[in-house]
Amino acid sequence: MNDVRLRAARKRLAESRDQEDAIEGLREIAANFLGSEEIGLFRIDRSTATFKVLWSFGIDVEKCDLLKALGDSGMRRVISGECHVELVAREHSGAMAMAQAFVPIRFANQTIAILAIFRLLPQKLGFDGSDKELFKLLSEEAAKPLFGATAHPKPVIEAPGMGT
Amino acid sequence: MAKKILVVDDSKTALLMEREILEKRAAYQCVTAADGQEAVEKAQQERPDLVLMDVVMPRMNGFEACKMMRQHPNTREIPIVLVTTRGEEAYMEAGFQSGCNDYITKPVDGAELVALVQSYLGE
Repeated sequence: MNDVRLRAARKRLAESRDQEDAIEGLREIAANFLGSEEIGLFRIDRSTATFKVLWSFGIDVEKCDLLKALGDSGMRRVISGECHVELVAREHSGAMAMAQAFVPIRFANQTIAILAIFRLLPQKLGFDGSDKELFKLLSEEAAKPLFGATAHPKPVIEAPGMGT
Repeated sequence: MAKKILVVDDSKTALLMEREILEKRAAYQCVTAADGQEAVEKAQQERPDLVLMDVVMPRMNGFEACKMMRQHPNTREIPIVLVTTRGEEAYMEAGFQSGCNDYITKPVDGAELVALVQSYLGE
């Protein structure tokens, strides 16, 4: 059944009219396929080794500092193109602990943005293999609809902690 | 003749997936609407065998649309399945109060969706 999700996600991204519509597509994919209504999109400025919150949904920008939770090694892996998925644990209260997945958005063999997926809906118990296939699709195919002509990464000035 | 399902969602992504599951995997005929108000109108015109409807939508939400369909003789008996991100008991009690027959939570599992639809269509 996962191929249905992949085809629908691919079609939705490919048919995006502009950046706003592509972002709405990401929100829909996260809510309908991944079971999360808390996501953020960060554009990477490799020249200054900083992230700019491009857009977030269902979560305030303060919580987006959770990107720091990746740490240096996690960040390096995401920048190099690997998805980083945190294990999910159920808290004593029954509420879901903060689940996180960080998906590199790639263009021309470089990570130009990171899609961060935060808390999951209560009925979604964690990320599985089919979710990881979807992460891969987003990683490979979201850049063009999201950034269009500006997708091409700026010339790299290597900064500490942001090696490829 | 294929049974007809009215699929209602303001999300193009959800519509794409649900249509693909219902049309290609289960051979149903789908018609779509993008909000509750359009769903009420389409239900009158199309007389579907079942309505699969999101809850949170612009203009008119799924609960309100459900209530309106139940008030009209032409749509009163059509099975309505709501699709929701929230499956809490209290929340879905409001769904049942509005007249829905059943609900399914997001993210939608395709096999679960087909099984649920088939159970209401007597298949």
